[in-house]
Amino acid sequence: MSIVSVKLTNLARRFVSPKGNRYTAVQNISLDVGKGSFVSIVGPSGCGKSTILNMTAGLMEPSEGTIHVFGERLKGINRRASYMFQQDALLPWKTVVGNIELGLHLRGKDAKESRELALQWVDRVGLKGFADSYPYQLSGGMRKRAAMAQAWIVKPDIVLMDEPFGALDVHTRLRMEGEILRLWAESGETVMFVTHDLEEAIALSDEVVVLSAGPGSTIVGQYGVDLPRPRNLIDIKTEPRFGEFYRAIWSDLRKEVLKSYERSDEA
Amino acid sequence: MSEATKRSVPMLVWQVLLGAGLLSLWQVGVTYRWMDKFFFSRPSDVAERVWKMFATGSVWAHLATTMTEAALSFGIGVFAGVVFGFLLARNRWLAALLDPYIRIANALPRVVLAPIFLLWFGLGIWSKVALGVTVVFFIVFFNTYQGVREVDPVQLDNARMLGASERQLIRHVLIPSALTWIFSSLHISIGFAIIAVVVGEYLGASRGIGYTIAQAEGVFDTTGVFAGMTILAAVVLLVGAGVDRLERWLLRWKPNRDTSARQVG
Repeated sequence: MSIVSVKLTNLARRFVSPKGNRYTAVQNISLDVGKGSFVSIVGPSGCGKSTILNMTAGLMEPSEGTIHVFGERLKGINRRASYMFQQDALLPWKTVVGNIELGLHLRGKDAKESRELALQWVDRVGLKGFADSYPYQLSGGMRKRAAMAQAWIVKPDIVLMDEPFGALDVHTRLRMEGEILRLWAESGETVMFVTHDLEEAIALSDEVVVLSAGPGSTIVGQYGVDLPRPRNLIDIKTEPRFGEFYRAIWSDLRKEVLKSYERSDEA
Repeated sequence: MSEATKRSVPMLVWQVLLGAGLLSLWQVGVTYRWMDKFFFSRPSDVAERVWKMFATGSVWAHLATTMTEAALSFGIGVFAGVVFGFLLARNRWLAALLDPYIRIANALPRVVLAPIFLLWFGLGIWSKVALGVTVVFFIVFFNTYQGVREVDPVQLDNARMLGASERQLIRHVLIPSALTWIFSSLHISIGFAIIAVVVGEYLGASRGIGYTIAQAEGVFDTTGVFAGMTILAAVVLLVGAGVDRLERWLLRWKPNRDTSARQVG
């Protein structure tokens, strides 16, 4: 964990509302994400979790502060990162295999090799027999599997995930989380995972970062989660140590959630 | 009639019955002098005329002229519409600059341009092509513009993260996404292209289906007018069916609403 893959320094992001009011989403964000670690960012809704992820992806420019990726200052799109979005991001006019090979294709890789590799990934994420299906023919969980393969096939150093399983039912979600952990363990890249679900964050992560309520949210707590790996996601939530972590982090998060309730009541 | 019969007889049969009924009414009405043959002609006469036009081969030159004009105006109009639609959708400043002028140009009734195009481009095919282009262009342009603007930003971001360059974004995301819109405009614009060139021919030409209709009208030959109309309608339907097939193939990634409706019904 000595190599830092993502280093955020004094990051801030302001937006201007249509009425011309300036609004600070996040500020004073400084965070080191070690290579190969699984870091979750939790916080009340509307606290700017996605904003941090989008800046790390290079899809959004910070108003202040800097981002370094493996020591290099980030300019434009983060070429070493893949992104799994909360919404469906598969291209509906491409088949499953066409979507999975898209990243290789865009990078100018050989078409035949890309197709072979993509077909391997189709099997690997459990979509055997659906290579030539279009996204509309798949269930929500299957679309997430395809999105997973799409993000992982390009061998990224960093995977950014923005509540990727928010829309799934509890059981499908549990299976997907398991798949993510398996892929991550096999490949050893860095994962930055945004969620509002503290249980999910603890179950998956090495480290949980708590953001304060917005506007102007900042990091109010960082917790190492040294539960042993590989983790059994089905039973982990009933383990006593899981409960300890949960209580410790929740006492911080709880305050912020209450604050965000008060603010939304005022508004 | 019972509900069961209504459902067991296919709709096509009802449709054919309706058409045949109306045509017979027309035929009988004229034969028994309830309607004046001079003004209304007769379905049997029209059919005979159409058959004769094809049998003698006199129709082919006219049909070829009209179709060439329509194809040229459609091709040029679609190309220009798609290119301008993309350009303006991707460049807000340009779109804002040109917005009032596009509105003004689109507000013009295109038919009044026909005499001017006749002066500019002469009696040949190009005056008709110009008229057709002004019609097709705006339909395709507005739809392309809308289609590109409505692209899902998440799909764009995803392609960007996967390494897409600006050109690859157009090729892999923007064009396919706008295709649905462009296609819905093709259906309309192909019909309008044919109508526009026929209007052009009607107002001044030496060839084309519109010209034959105008000629027939000049000598009060109602049978000739109806024969021309029949051929035109058939051609528009045929071309429309072709576009339908192409669309179904190009948009095969979309959930097929027809199939699902059939499953439910």
